[in-house]
Amino acid sequence: MDYRVNNISYKYTKDGEEVLKNVSFSIEKGKVTAIVGPSGCGKSTLVQIFSQVIPKLINNGELEGSFDVPQDTFVSVVSQNPENQLFGYGVEDAIAFGLENIGMPQEEIVERMEYVLDLLNLQYLRKRSVDNLSGGQRQSVCIASVLAMKPDILIMDEPVSSLDPNGKKMVQDILGQLSNSGNTTVLVDNNLVWSAGIVDHVIGLLEGEVVFDGSRDEFFKNFELQEKLGVILPQEVELYRELSKQFQDIDLFYTVDEAFAQLQGKVKKKEILQKEALKEEMEPIITVQQLVKQFNDGFTALDHVDAQLPKGKVIAILGQNGSGKTTFVRHLNGLHKPTSGEVLYKGTSILGKTVAQISKNIILVFQHPEHMLFEETVEKELTFCARMQEVPFSEEHITEVLEHYHLEKERETFPLNLSMGKKHMLTILSVLFSSADVIILDEPTLGMDGFLIEDLEKMIADLKAAGKTIIMISHEIPLVFRVSDYAVILNKGEKLFEGTKEKLVEREDIFEKINIMLPPVVQLSKKLGLDEVVFQVDDFMKKVLEQRNE
Amino acid sequence: MDYLKYVDGDSLLHKLDPRTKFVFFIVMAILTSLVKSGVALLFLLVFFVGMWNVCKIQKYIFILFQKLKVLLIFIFLLWFILGLFERPQAGNGPVFYEAMIPFVGGQKILFCFDWYDIYKGLVYSLRIFLMIASFYTVLLTTNFSEIILGLQKWKISYALAFGIGLVFQIIPMIITELKAIMEAQSSRGLEIEECSWTTKIKNYVTFSLPLLFRVISKGQSISLAMHYYQLNFSVHRTAYKKIKASKYDAYFILANAVAIAITVVLHMQFYIAV
Repeated sequence: MDYRVNNISYKYTKDGEEVLKNVSFSIEKGKVTAIVGPSGCGKSTLVQIFSQVIPKLINNGELEGSFDVPQDTFVSVVSQNPENQLFGYGVEDAIAFGLENIGMPQEEIVERMEYVLDLLNLQYLRKRSVDNLSGGQRQSVCIASVLAMKPDILIMDEPVSSLDPNGKKMVQDILGQLSNSGNTTVLVDNNLVWSAGIVDHVIGLLEGEVVFDGSRDEFFKNFELQEKLGVILPQEVELYRELSKQFQDIDLFYTVDEAFAQLQGKVKKKEILQKEALKEEMEPIITVQQLVKQFNDGFTALDHVDAQLPKGKVIAILGQNGSGKTTFVRHLNGLHKPTSGEVLYKGTSILGKTVAQISKNIILVFQHPEHMLFEETVEKELTFCARMQEVPFSEEHITEVLEHYHLEKERETFPLNLSMGKKHMLTILSVLFSSADVIILDEPTLGMDGFLIEDLEKMIADLKAAGKTIIMISHEIPLVFRVSDYAVILNKGEKLFEGTKEKLVEREDIFEKINIMLPPVVQLSKKLGLDEVVFQVDDFMKKVLEQRNE
Repeated sequence: MDYLKYVDGDSLLHKLDPRTKFVFFIVMAILTSLVKSGVALLFLLVFFVGMWNVCKIQKYIFILFQKLKVLLIFIFLLWFILGLFERPQAGNGPVFYEAMIPFVGGQKILFCFDWYDIYKGLVYSLRIFLMIASFYTVLLTTNFSEIILGLQKWKISYALAFGIGLVFQIIPMIITELKAIMEAQSSRGLEIEECSWTTKIKNYVTFSLPLLFRVISKGQSISLAMHYYQLNFSVHRTAYKKIKASKYDAYFILANAVAIAITVVLHMQFYIAV
């Protein structure tokens, strides 16, 4: 028997708005069900109802309907921040925590420990401390600690949102293992890029209502709905969407190999056109010379890094977690002082200046918006940088920005009450009012749905058009290749590459070394023999149509 | 570098039963409150320095010392200044300067700068430092899971033991959060480096709001996680790990017993009332 969600409606306060409206669907046993929908659609509320947080911990709302499960069904949750969920110093302590809570005898705890560590291939981590694990490892231990309790339903709430590609791969493999071993898993995430190959069943939520309930393939073929829900799709699905408009006999595909198998006879293979070398002179705005950063514990985070970051371009800083990306950008705005080496802005050293002084030219937007927001209203938050830097601004400009980025309704809202994606967008928007001409964005898409990412891409394009330089750290590789012009690749504190993205795609050895995959559209354009390597789905389609076999 | 948190290691102190370390802290806290002899305290400091070096935690204690510098100087100055207005109460040390100085209402008061002012200031600073350092030694070498286990073995209720363990898990988180908030705001143009003391204090007040929200949000996440892991203090818990004393505890207790005995003897031999 499946688990049944039966006409659930919910209000957080008795006279408040309904956040869930007659929601009904089934969670199939032994399958992976994905619940998707834009920020504020009711996904998180549903998780709280499934896990009994509503009504056990939050009991002042109004709940109607029921979640029909057999008695003693145990539902557990893996949240997006494992550091808030792991209790215990060591990995073994953290895994044993839940089992100790239910009073399981020690011998059985030992058995369960072995079972989950073997199931998830985590034996190598068992003697480590949780503090010293990477994001992916931590999330894996979190999943292990929940699985050890053998939940009937495992809910994963945006489990990879803050992970690097290695971490995502780790969680992806675990989800695959869970699916193969017949666990019932509910994935709550609007980003299906990493899970598209594993999900069986999709539930679409919009404004508290179920607007889709069907198989994964049905969902990926429903383009209109995907757009309506702001789901972040794998680039392969975006390619399928465009290709299916032009080719009658294209089947849905989830991998580059599947796409290639269907397209190879349909596209003429050509040699890559040797274009004339780019004549454009790239004037550096920031020059980094022999930068070394050694921390007090002796760890060398950056080892003699040189870089010349060009003015007016979008520059991507790439590498796995621990490669030195964040340490590198924190030197550019003065948050870190180098052990040795130099950082120059327009030829002048920034080393003697304070962070606030440097922010007039180079501004850094942090990864976690909660660290940055501290005004009472969205409007005041928006103008924070301008006020600190004594840059004039007008009411019209504020209104224009708020309207353009769909925040006008929230003008007087307390910023911390916004959704995660909107909070992040607000911190980025506030730099539009600053005097800085170099803007550093650290993981800007964190918590954003498809709509906000679209807005972000437009904003980056506008800033570039206005002559600003954008430096961006992001693990969203397709996005990076869509928006950036130039890249710096770091690995274990050393610079592996610096140059244009056109040069970068020629260096597959680098991607192998840093264990990051090129975007599907780049891989496919190379495999198919398009006469130009392309970075966007639209450009890919143009090329495919040009080289189409009649 | 990490501050106020457990440091992973394999030293003698790390290998001890947490209960041995709790007793060490309690005994040292009592000893440093009772011992007032400079020589005895100096010996205790030498013993502590030796222990920190053997266990390779001396650099973390040095960081603690730097963080406590202002407090220690304050304590020293407090006793030093109070001592300037009286003659030495003990010993025969030198008096560097003595005079009657004018005071309000035509009265005169005694001003006496002598060795005893310095001695008294140093003794009080050293006592406070040793007391805090003995607690910090336990904190540096006992992770919160061990703290909880140790307290439970002392028949302290799991709810209380878990609460205490959680505090030690959360304190480093709060310090990290505050640092991140300060950095984020300075990155947006708020001057926190080159500013007056009053601005600095004002800034700290401003930072407290986002910090409060971060702490509340973390607290909410932790309580949700406790629910997911079915934590119920009324249910009897079992334990995966067992703790028991080993030969290392015996060595440690022996070394401490000798050190305490020497300290007491020195205290009696070189006691000067402060």
